[in-house]
Amino acid sequence: MKSLSRNPMIFGTAFLLIAGVALYGCQDFLERASAPQGTLDEGTLANRTGVEGTLIAAYRSLDWNTGVGGAWGSAASNWVWGSATSDDAYKGSEASDQPPINDIEAYQWATADAESYLNDKWRGSYEGVVRSNATIRLLKRVRAEIPGEISDADARGIEGEALFLRAHYHFEAWRMWGNIPYYREEDTDYRKANLQSAAALDEILADLDSAISLLEPGPRNGQVGRATEWAAKAYKGRVEVYAGRWADALTTLRDVEANGPYELEPSYDRVWTGFDEWANGPETIFAFQASSNDGEPSGNNANYGERLNFPHSGSPFGCCGFHQPSQNLVNFFAVDAAGLPLAITDAGWNARNTNLSASASAALALDPRLDWTVGRDGVPYKDWGLHQPGWIRSPAYGGPYSPKKNIHEKASGAESSVGWVPTQLNSVNIHLFRYADLLLMLAEAEVEAGTLPNALALVNRVRARAAVRAQGPGTARANIAVPINDPSITWAVYRVGQYPAFPTQAYARTAVRYERRLELAMEGQRFFDLKRWQIADQVLNEYVAIEKTRRPYLTAAQTFAARHYLYPIPAIQIELSKVDGQERLTQNTGW
Amino acid sequence: MGALLLLGVAGTALGQEITVSGTVTAPTGAPLREVRVRVEGGEARALTDANGRYTIQAPTNGTLSFSLLGRRAMQVAVDGRTTIDVTMEAVAYLADVVVTAYVEQRRADVTGAVSSVNLDATSRQTTASVLQRLDASVAGVTVNNSGSPGSRSTVRIRGISSFQNNDPLYIVDGTPVQESYVNWLNPNDITSVQVLKDASAASIYGARASNGVVLIETTKRGARGAPRATFRARTGISSPVKGYDDFLILNSMDYFEVVKRSYENAGLPVPTNIYGSASSPAVPEYIWPNNCGPLDEDGEPTPGPCSSLDESSYTFPNNLIMPGSAGTNWWDAVFGTGYVGDYHLDVSGGGDDNSYLVSFNYFDQKGTAAWNSFKRGGARVNTVFKPGKLSFGENIAISVARSFGGYPDDPDGFAEDGIIGKNILMQPVVPVYDVRGNFASGKAVGLGNQTNPLKEAWADKDDVAKNDRVFGNAFVALEVNPDFQLQSKFGFNLGITSFTGFSPIYPENSEPTLTNAVTENSNRFTDWTWSNTLTYRRQLIENHNVSFLLGQEANRITSRFIDAAMNNFINTDINSRYLQDALGDAATKNVNSSGGRSALLSFFGKADYNYADRYLLSLTVRRDGSSNLGPSHRWGTFPAVGLGWRMSNEPFMRDNGIFSDLMLRFGWGITGNQLIPSGRIVNQFGGSRGDTYYDIGGTNTDILAGFRLTSLGNADLKWEENRSVNFGADFTIFDGLLEFVIDLYQRETNNLLFDPPLPGTAGVAASPIVNVGKMQNRGIDFSIGHRTDVWSVTFNGSHYRNKIVQIDGVQDFFYGPIATRFGNQVINQVGHPIGSFYGLVADGMFRDAADVAAHADQDGAAPGRIKFRDVNGDGAVTLADRTIIGSPHPDFTAGLDATYRWRDFDVSATLFGTFGNEIFDAQKEYYVFRNFSTNVRSDLLTDSWTPDNPNAKYPRLDVNDNFSRVISSYYIEDGSYIRLRNVQVAYNVPRSFGLLQSARVYVQAENLFTITDYPGLDPALPAANVFGPAGDIRDQYRGVDRGSYPSSRTISFGVVTNF
Repeated sequence: MKSLSRNPMIFGTAFLLIAGVALYGCQDFLERASAPQGTLDEGTLANRTGVEGTLIAAYRSLDWNTGVGGAWGSAASNWVWGSATSDDAYKGSEASDQPPINDIEAYQWATADAESYLNDKWRGSYEGVVRSNATIRLLKRVRAEIPGEISDADARGIEGEALFLRAHYHFEAWRMWGNIPYYREEDTDYRKANLQSAAALDEILADLDSAISLLEPGPRNGQVGRATEWAAKAYKGRVEVYAGRWADALTTLRDVEANGPYELEPSYDRVWTGFDEWANGPETIFAFQASSNDGEPSGNNANYGERLNFPHSGSPFGCCGFHQPSQNLVNFFAVDAAGLPLAITDAGWNARNTNLSASASAALALDPRLDWTVGRDGVPYKDWGLHQPGWIRSPAYGGPYSPKKNIHEKASGAESSVGWVPTQLNSVNIHLFRYADLLLMLAEAEVEAGTLPNALALVNRVRARAAVRAQGPGTARANIAVPINDPSITWAVYRVGQYPAFPTQAYARTAVRYERRLELAMEGQRFFDLKRWQIADQVLNEYVAIEKTRRPYLTAAQTFAARHYLYPIPAIQIELSKVDGQERLTQNTGW
Repeated sequence: MGALLLLGVAGTALGQEITVSGTVTAPTGAPLREVRVRVEGGEARALTDANGRYTIQAPTNGTLSFSLLGRRAMQVAVDGRTTIDVTMEAVAYLADVVVTAYVEQRRADVTGAVSSVNLDATSRQTTASVLQRLDASVAGVTVNNSGSPGSRSTVRIRGISSFQNNDPLYIVDGTPVQESYVNWLNPNDITSVQVLKDASAASIYGARASNGVVLIETTKRGARGAPRATFRARTGISSPVKGYDDFLILNSMDYFEVVKRSYENAGLPVPTNIYGSASSPAVPEYIWPNNCGPLDEDGEPTPGPCSSLDESSYTFPNNLIMPGSAGTNWWDAVFGTGYVGDYHLDVSGGGDDNSYLVSFNYFDQKGTAAWNSFKRGGARVNTVFKPGKLSFGENIAISVARSFGGYPDDPDGFAEDGIIGKNILMQPVVPVYDVRGNFASGKAVGLGNQTNPLKEAWADKDDVAKNDRVFGNAFVALEVNPDFQLQSKFGFNLGITSFTGFSPIYPENSEPTLTNAVTENSNRFTDWTWSNTLTYRRQLIENHNVSFLLGQEANRITSRFIDAAMNNFINTDINSRYLQDALGDAATKNVNSSGGRSALLSFFGKADYNYADRYLLSLTVRRDGSSNLGPSHRWGTFPAVGLGWRMSNEPFMRDNGIFSDLMLRFGWGITGNQLIPSGRIVNQFGGSRGDTYYDIGGTNTDILAGFRLTSLGNADLKWEENRSVNFGADFTIFDGLLEFVIDLYQRETNNLLFDPPLPGTAGVAASPIVNVGKMQNRGIDFSIGHRTDVWSVTFNGSHYRNKIVQIDGVQDFFYGPIATRFGNQVINQVGHPIGSFYGLVADGMFRDAADVAAHADQDGAAPGRIKFRDVNGDGAVTLADRTIIGSPHPDFTAGLDATYRWRDFDVSATLFGTFGNEIFDAQKEYYVFRNFSTNVRSDLLTDSWTPDNPNAKYPRLDVNDNFSRVISSYYIEDGSYIRLRNVQVAYNVPRSFGLLQSARVYVQAENLFTITDYPGLDPALPAANVFGPAGDIRDQYRGVDRGSYPSSRTISFGVVTNF
């Protein structure tokens, strides 16, 4: 000890050295603690499993819902953007729930509330793009680094599917905003300027052409959720229709109709269904493959984005009464003596302003698709019993009707057993593009080309299928759907007539457009159709003028003006696009 | 407890008793009165008189102790003397020896901004944590917490330096801890708390010191001799300071009047399903079912009130029957009287070469909310052995804490999810219970879609959050010679926290839940710190003193978290709440685990030079390596300089008659921050069944695995640096009559660690954390102390101004992390303080149609609706007119602590005030704008806009008014308040009985009154419990009132005794 006290610095240095060396003994003390915990790294995924899994995740973004990070505004069905904004439906529920949709429905799209939903749709669309591009990048890397890991055939399929998805997600954004930035797999700058609407369309079509060249006619691995060559061709036709490139559309859609694998479902009840055996039938071109009871603890894959759109408290579903069909829509299903839409011959078709309950419609001639689309009091609600007034959350606000297409049949077993109110979660696939939609687009193209007989045949084909089966008593699985003249039907006189002829192009155009509304009501297409027909301002201003006398809250609606033909790009995204203080994204005109 | 048995033989052989007398004076020669004189280990005691004289009986070989508030306590051996005169020095109100930077230091030598906490003041409260009342005792510190038992304390030192977690570094007995619940630490064990506020004081803890350092010592040990014990007990009852029942509608018919006017003013028919016709409404017999209206054409009953129901048809859960209530007081149903009990016993003693302390603590607090409580039991062992030049020992605490009822946290997400928010959301017509005594709720249309808050509390009553902890250190030190010491200390913090929770079915709700669930989780962590230090201290030549510290430290934290859940339990009894297949729906069983790992390696040194106690120089440098940062930027160097000039020791200041002490201080230094999740230096991939998995095969039930980029890494992550400059002065005038400490500072954070949002086109992967931001805080803290023999008063005040200087170099703002129902009210914008409020500017209400016409174009503009300012002057009120509308940061905070002694009584009180901070009262979404058909403020009936009342407080009642409620300055309220934190009256029992050597009994009251203009529940808001991908971000969301557990008014009684 004495020597130590005489040489404190030596002792101290030795002490520190021993301690220091002891620690440096494990030289990688810091390095070992630096690895992230519980995550995958880029290298682990650089193989077939990683590429395929990245592609799967790109498909999953088809429904970018609350459970995943977005809100109801980014649900697969576009019920907020394509339906509640149109004359098909109201927001529903009550005034104070989801107030952002009040603003959206009232065409007040520059509010902070509306912006929050717009931002979710923007982010959801581009998340799909990002996942698609990640797939292509990783595929190229694995192909370069591990030759043979992925077969040439699979590589073509993977790239084709990813390109298809990339086109789809950009198309979703394009339908909303028109002037959008386009992102490919080689992009690293996420602050690109937006393209002019037409240029963005060219990009989408180019990706679809590439997808067509890479994909096989049938789904890869026999997995029906995958995009195919025919799905890509069909989608191309749809984009061409949206672009108004009628000649191209005619060629593309005629090819799909003539040579493609698609058929209409034999009856309308099989289009929107929870029954497994009817899912992904011949009518499905592309759908979000919902799944329930798949081991996911919150039911996120079971149409989380649609979960608000069920009848409310007194019903077997418990919540939440959103996306209620409008009185205008219900009235639109009235038919004349010939079984044709009353609207085609009678300007007074929209006169009714009372609850079209079962007793009110007992002697009324109706298109049977009404009762596959709308829940009405006293009418069987699939196999859930009669729809009742107590199922409506606030009739004074959202009217007496409930949505129906997204609701599963009780007997289907599609209902989730997990999640917040599992009765509102199901595995009903959400149609993103179905064959009836394609046929009616083809009919439009035929009308624009002046080949009216072709259009007539297509419309009548869709109508013939509508005439097969109607909502039945629903007391058992076997009588959910019955022939439209079945004696058990006491709540309506169903009638679907065939158009004898389209006398003029204008008549044909109207007939096709009416048929689209009847066939695709509540499917999130209506608003986009009105936009591309350039009649949204006229139709919607007339709609609001009458509907606000029925639903007073609609007095808050703004006049639908030219600027409403495009949604405003979320201000926050414009802000985030700044480079050196300059905004790269340009806001749409009028916003 | 064996130690207690020794008490009986406490008396050791004492010498012969003699009479000792003397005079106690101050250094100036002034006599000191009321000095307490005692015989150590004996019973005799005396007080000095007005002349400072005392007389006492003492053994010839005994020791006298002298104590007086504000003077340094003294022990003097009698040594057979009969006259002992004593001079007692004034203790600066800051203790004379402080533990800073691994070593003890004379207070006089400290050049940095260091505050010692007055533990007497902080102990006059009944919360679980010592941190909760620091703000009134230390200038420059703010603390936020809710009134929930065991709630988290958000301590901030000198403003806010980062967008991420700004918790200070707590060093408990030399072991660093970074967390904001320090509930496991028994406040009675604490011997000192020092707050290191500037970099020159804190940079020795470089790596993690950028938010300041709080040093807590629990190293209390026994004195030589037989075991001595201290027993402390305190019990009290508490009640909420204010409740919603003070300002919400309590009467069903009054509420209906609000509904009625809202519909009538909108030109809509008034709903009739609950109260019947609008012209003759009545409290309904039943609120559910309410389909008793006239039959429609299909023969189905329409919604309408039911007056006669066959209650025997009631079945649970399918056919509930709920009566109407004339007025349910929901606040009263959930909140009531709380209780607190705090019991502490310690036994200490020692021998020639050892000393020890063993302590036990039991703390039990029942909150004011139903079924909500916090309990803690703990034990501590501190021992040291000193054979020769060696000393070794340990300080170890074991703590077991239980929190019941699920509300220890501050609100997160939509605050409507908790019992506080749900309290507003329930209408008075809804009863607490249905006709069979099950919980009722507003199931009918128009009654909202809420959950009974009492049911919510009941559902959580068996939810338990556990926190089991072993914390402490073992050390060995060698005193080679008096100048030179070596120490090695191994500190550890081992814990398991866990939670078990149950959610029942809610069939009574308008949106019923019919599945029950059990969730549980467990987090195990191991945090160790090994530090080795060498200290050398010497007087080189006359007046030249130097000391050196060299050290090295390693720290590693590992944690592992596992959580699991299952639904549909067959039996929901508490004994069945386990996650086993047979007990519920096995298909819903779900389990996840995660973990964290990080390490720090550090080397540090400090050199101090002191010339004649006049000139002081302190140099510090620390080098830290962090595993959280990029490989090439792992190491950071944190230097600091401190200068001090004790002017009062200069010859020219001698005998100046005013300043008895005057010291000027300057400090500059850099501290660091690396408080981000580990592993953020590389891209991370992952996914989950609900996010990336997909049913590609169209099976409806089988999903295939998918992956995505979940977070972006940044290999260049480096240290966040905080540069601080501090000018300070300490001075004492008129022989300690007034003591001042004043500090001016500027703190600048560079390379701020932050994850600025990427554009949506980059996808939703968590943004990379980058080092681009800059933030600045400037401020002043001061304290003034005044002491006489009977009075002791300290006042401290502080002011800071926070400013965001840079975010990511491109963006000049980003929004706060939480949106309420109507959007996001918080913005972080360059040039403004973090977490500023953002929205439209409300300019009263439109008076009439002419006013509407004259105003800029505004959606929904109408008389009686709120008028918003066209800030940018473009003729229309749009989102572009949003601007900064307020700040949650106070202009000034102050604490006043006073003690008055009179004979054997003393009275103490603490006042705390905050001034100039604003509160965004998000609850106006409910209690003013009635979103979700909630309850509303009672003055809505009397003070809403009408043509006759154009200057009303509230806009016109109108269900179609979806416009007035947009986020605006209408929600902003002044959050200033002054609160009497506590008052204590104590009596020091003059002659103790039996074994008791002394006793002190007291009664105290907390939160007796609050002076504030804030119209909500409680202006003292906790910080929100909010996390982003890069960690805790509660400082981005301060001062928004979404409904938090209010402070309690507590009356307690206590006793402290030694034996």
